[in-house]
Amino acid sequence: MKILLLATDAYGGHGGIALFNRELCAAWSEHEITLLPRVIRGPVENVPPHVRFVAEAAHGKFAFLRAVGRARREKWDLVVCGHVNLLPLAFEHPLLVVHGVEAWKRRRTPLAPCRGILSVSAVTRDRLVGWSRYGGPTYVLPNAVHLEQYGIRAKRQDLVDRYRLHGRRVLLTVGRLDSGERSKGFDEMLEVMHELPDDVVYMIAGGGNDFVRLQRKAHDLGISHRVVFTGLFAESDKPDLYNLADAYVMPSRGEGFGFVFLEAMACGVPVIGSKLDGGREALLDGKLGLLVDPTNPAEIRAAIRETLQRGERKVPEGLEYFSFDRFVERARAIGDAAVHED
Amino acid sequence: MCGITALFAYDAPAIAREELQAITDRMIPRGPDAGGTWVSPDGRVGLGSRRLAIIDLSAEGTQPMWDSARELVIVFNGEIYNYAELRASLQRNGARFHSHTDTEVLLELYRRDGDRMLGLLRGMYAFAIWDTRARRMFVARDPYGIKPLYFADDGSTLRLASEVKALLAGGAISKEIDPTGAAGFFLTGSVPEPFTIRKAVRAVAPGTYFWIDENGRGPARQHFSIARTFRDAREQAVLVEPAVMLRERLEESVRHHLVSDVPVGVFLSAGIDSSALAKIAAKHAPLHTFTLDFAEFSEAPLAERFARELGTEHRMRTVTREEFLADLPKILERMDQPTIDGVNTWFISKAVHEAGIKVALSGVGGDELLGGYPSFTNVPRIAQFPLAARAAGALRRHPKARLLGQYAGTYGGAYFLQRGLFAPDELPPLLGDLNIAEHFESVLAPDPETAFGRVATLEASLYMRNQLLRDADWASMAHSVEVRTPLVDAYLLRQLAPLLLQTRDKSALASILPDYLRDRPKSGFFVPMKEWMDLPDDGTSTRMRSWAKYVWESFA
Repeated sequence: MKILLLATDAYGGHGGIALFNRELCAAWSEHEITLLPRVIRGPVENVPPHVRFVAEAAHGKFAFLRAVGRARREKWDLVVCGHVNLLPLAFEHPLLVVHGVEAWKRRRTPLAPCRGILSVSAVTRDRLVGWSRYGGPTYVLPNAVHLEQYGIRAKRQDLVDRYRLHGRRVLLTVGRLDSGERSKGFDEMLEVMHELPDDVVYMIAGGGNDFVRLQRKAHDLGISHRVVFTGLFAESDKPDLYNLADAYVMPSRGEGFGFVFLEAMACGVPVIGSKLDGGREALLDGKLGLLVDPTNPAEIRAAIRETLQRGERKVPEGLEYFSFDRFVERARAIGDAAVHED
Repeated sequence: MCGITALFAYDAPAIAREELQAITDRMIPRGPDAGGTWVSPDGRVGLGSRRLAIIDLSAEGTQPMWDSARELVIVFNGEIYNYAELRASLQRNGARFHSHTDTEVLLELYRRDGDRMLGLLRGMYAFAIWDTRARRMFVARDPYGIKPLYFADDGSTLRLASEVKALLAGGAISKEIDPTGAAGFFLTGSVPEPFTIRKAVRAVAPGTYFWIDENGRGPARQHFSIARTFRDAREQAVLVEPAVMLRERLEESVRHHLVSDVPVGVFLSAGIDSSALAKIAAKHAPLHTFTLDFAEFSEAPLAERFARELGTEHRMRTVTREEFLADLPKILERMDQPTIDGVNTWFISKAVHEAGIKVALSGVGGDELLGGYPSFTNVPRIAQFPLAARAAGALRRHPKARLLGQYAGTYGGAYFLQRGLFAPDELPPLLGDLNIAEHFESVLAPDPETAFGRVATLEASLYMRNQLLRDADWASMAHSVEVRTPLVDAYLLRQLAPLLLQTRDKSALASILPDYLRDRPKSGFFVPMKEWMDLPDDGTSTRMRSWAKYVWESFA
């Protein structure tokens, strides 16, 4: 089967969407995939043999348009549009992939030409169908985690030293510090810190343009000595970073799914997620971790206290639901169904 | 769902057991299923309860209720909708339970979290916990004041109860009328909290709690503030399409409010809020719907058509002038404080009770939440541009137009112009002095800072609290029916506040309804009082001023 994937980024990209596109390509290993990336941010590595990665498509807007134009002249069994922003360029009844907030608000581009919509979560699907009244088939394909790449490890001493975590209990949130959205729950976490025991510190792992404001806020709340900002960190340090944490907490409002929860759980870190976004699904509706309403500080505080009190580290039973093998099964079934949907 | 009382002789030798019994007995209609009292061994603390069983119908649910360790004892009126989730959390922390009630969850939550427990409760409640270890009492009321709680503190004994009339029935409290409360009734149509019409009795403020020990009653502390919720929401981004978010959150609130071990009904007018509520609820549970039908005026055919489409068990209940007049003495007897409303809830609750149903959802609060009242446009206009408002004739033909000069210019004043019943200079002599505009303005603390936030706070803290919710309580409890209000919910408000401030179009509820319900003028649960009572013309279309005077006679 010949598949064309229009993507924002994939190989040589970072972030959740790039990762999802790479996983999707890996899952569809039986097919011949041509991937047009809109941008490439880093070194392109490990492109599997069944994927033709058209790197020149990423050389600016016109290069991408030219690449799409050339692709139009070929015959495809399935065109996949990896982001709703690219939908105006897609053709031949594409399968649209939606990830999160980008699909939660009304958009101008009509969705009717899509043969189907693939969403990483039910909440994103429901919110999209809510405003668009899209009546075609929809598929939910949650993110996958490669369990073998994580695991419970001892705290890495150089990191403990660097972040001054000796004798401290650590709450962790991983995410971009985005001043536009402010939806990761950093603010909510800072606001409950003064109600938590003194040995508890909050580690914010990620870079972004909201750093100065959050740092000032921590200062104004009188808790700057209990807040650690890691800034951007090396991808290879990620499992060790998670392993520093006693709880992974993200009282967010804008997660399409919340892949970071899967990583934290794969490291045996207990997680606390949000009832108001995709976090609910990453935690299997509360089976894998505690859910809180991010608008209620009392719930956030109580869940943290409960989690720290138990102080238990283990990879939760049921996390296999998000294993890569299951992802492959689901992705293949969706691919087959979408081809026949036309 | 019950009537509760608590007595604490904090600086007196003992409470009077007969008084405890008399207060409790007065509330039998609120809780016909069971009752009980408890007096501490030293005789200084007494608790009483009448229970209407909704969750865990067994005798294990009887109050006053002890925790497993027999250290804490509680009387509780209300419903905690997220009790199962809280119970699971407590169990993970090692708590043990002897019942399946939400009441016992409150006890264990208190043991774990102390006063911080209140932030975790989703529901309506008024309760008192006597902590035998610390010899002190913890008293709390829900965020909006859905459940009533009154107290009288004479400096040596504190008395608490769900009804003002119950406190008086104990016989120890002066019946002296509070002129301020009385003035408030004539100015607004209901007695504004914290006042009551009895000088000795005050309301426990919604969203607050206090402690009381042998040194007396501590200060009331806030655990929820509508004004602050709106203020804090100003800068939050709205990430979801507003209509979608509204429907999603309302649906979730309704689902929470359906928690019950008995069947649930819905008060169904042909209005938007109650219809939307019924539609959402019908998806999750087999539903009974109820509509009133008057010879003088009827929404019944529309409601019936809609109920048929939803497939609910629908009952249309006809109320005649004769029945109203026959019930009138009972209505005035159960009416806890003077009010110009509540008759509608009386009859719809009567219908629900006749059908053997104990729990009913009400669409009350929809207009306060979603800005459905004219006050949302008028009040900011009158407050900000008093002269322009006059010129534009916002109130030109209104009997209160002459008061513009005095009251326009502040939100409190503008709100009085919008909602007031009588003007201060029309009050009968001997009534107290209440600076009504200032009193109204006082609920805007901290200042919500947006026009919508201010009016929504005023509506929820004044008209809805003092009139709609209080009337819903006494008039439904008189028939042993528990009214639940999915649109009056602190969780829902926190989730929606940013969106409410930023979105003009809040017609999400209407959008799920068929055209024949959507495109109609506002109606609400109307009662043809004017026709039934043959009231003297008082210059208002509904003759509510005459009705107010009539009601007052039965209290004065």
